Amino acid sequence: MKRLIGFAAGAAALTLALTGCANYSQPAAPATTGAATTDATSSAAAPKLVSAGKLTVCTHLSYPPFQFKDEATNKITGFDVDLMDVVAKSLGVTQEVVDIDFGQITSGAVFAAGTCDAGAAAITITDERQAAAPFSDPYFAATQALLVKKGSGITDLPDLKGKTLAVQTDTTGKIYAEKNVDANGYEIKVFDDMPTGANAVLSGAADAAINDNGVMFDFAKSNPDTEVVKEFATGEHYGFNTSKDNPELLAAINKALAAAKADGTYNTIYKKWFGVDAPK
Amino acid sequence: MTTINAPTAIQPKKKKLSPRKRAQRIRIVQYAVLGLLVLVAVLFADGQQIVNVFFRPDLIAKALGPGLGMALLNTVLYSIGAFIFGLVLGTVLALMKLSQIGPYRWLATGYIEFFRGVPAIIVLLAFGLLGIAFPGLKFPLAPFGTVWTALGMVSAAYMAETIRAGIQAVPKGQVEAARSLGMPAGLATRYIVMPQAFRIVTPPLTNELILLVKDSSLVYVLGLTTGAFELTKYGREMSSTYGNLTPLIVAGFCYLLITLPLTLLVRRMEARQRKAR
Repeated sequence: MKRLIGFAAGAAALTLALTGCANYSQPAAPATTGAATTDATSSAAAPKLVSAGKLTVCTHLSYPPFQFKDEATNKITGFDVDLMDVVAKSLGVTQEVVDIDFGQITSGAVFAAGTCDAGAAAITITDERQAAAPFSDPYFAATQALLVKKGSGITDLPDLKGKTLAVQTDTTGKIYAEKNVDANGYEIKVFDDMPTGANAVLSGAADAAINDNGVMFDFAKSNPDTEVVKEFATGEHYGFNTSKDNPELLAAINKALAAAKADGTYNTIYKKWFGVDAPK
Repeated sequence: MTTINAPTAIQPKKKKLSPRKRAQRIRIVQYAVLGLLVLVAVLFADGQQIVNVFFRPDLIAKALGPGLGMALLNTVLYSIGAFIFGLVLGTVLALMKLSQIGPYRWLATGYIEFFRGVPAIIVLLAFGLLGIAFPGLKFPLAPFGTVWTALGMVSAAYMAETIRAGIQAVPKGQVEAARSLGMPAGLATRYIVMPQAFRIVTPPLTNELILLVKDSSLVYVLGLTTGAFELTKYGREMSSTYGNLTPLIVAGFCYLLITLPLTLLVRRMEARQRKAR
């Protein structure tokens, strides 16, 4: 029996060694190669990146036209992705997009866990989120929009009395719906992502859906059975967020954004995804 | 007994059916129910609508794009890696559970009960956020390393119990014979008990692999690049984009591509074992 125990102990040590393989690497060293090749950022301290040579950006799919997967290329693309590409280029690195739970991005958990450098997920800047993970300068203005099935007769929140309203978890649309629930008496149904909520309107599982105007108009365009009947001017602005401990990256994002706005790159990207010039 | 047969006396006109006749009638009723169900399905289901929602040809073509092969490969890689991890850890746990040293047994029991009782998605979520507790922690080959460890740790708990049962199912006479030939206990375990035990547990372990293939659909909670998408995430993403179930159905059939051969394998192995006995 002694040998059996010895065998077991040896094997236990082996697995311990295996599990111990998870290496405790230091928060990735600054991308020296990247910073060296770009003169734009070389003056400021190079931002820390979770994996060298890459700007790892967390997003939450699908949120067209801000971020969605292009089936032909199997890559994530969209307005936010293009803007982050500009930021990555200014740092001399390439962007890698990771799809994750939206709440983990806004709470800053993805930065604390070392999953991503920045979040670009059409995130509305709020005080609470700002405190958890600081935002860049705003890059897009948004309102909340109400999506219904055509011919439903619903035109505003009061029409939803006794009906169901689809919201997306952890979004400002959900907060807005919750704020107005007592006055209008609808039932809130929470969905994991934007398309599932909007599709619930299509399938009849919900009578209406509330989400940011950009995506809702895009959804109504590709699904002619649905329409946006009302927009609520909530005065929201999107921002990219980063870790609290990475002010260098935040500065680099703001710098790249300002440069893109100044030289027309921002307008080109805006026009590519929304078909109109960016509002001044 | 005679009193129980009384009803026949009360209704003498009703002819008692012979058992064969009764079995025949029951069969007719069963067929009638089946036929009715089919009829209802045919009458009420709109065939065109079903094709449009579940099997839309253009979406099938789209779903069979370059991403699908990669998703299929990722699913296989996630499951096999987790299986190997779970097998090694599960064997160790099984031996620990049979150990004569109390603390080893307690540790193994605690581990098994914890990971068997906790949903795999919770373990995966915890692993995704592990970096908060250990800043700078990175698994090699992320996200593969993370998936293998997390799913492997869950499946190890199940496999440990299976392997333990397998070891205990090896007849005691086998060890006694080995010991009487002068073989030390450790060698007897390694060369006599373990090979026989693994032969016994191969079918249930293959079932565990099938479960792992399906559990790999939970990997999405870790946060994935498109290159690391597995089948469910791939199908779900596309389904919600197009508001149609077709891509999910395609992904579902891809799981069958993996699991059906494994099920057949298990059946064949079980048949062979039954014959050998």
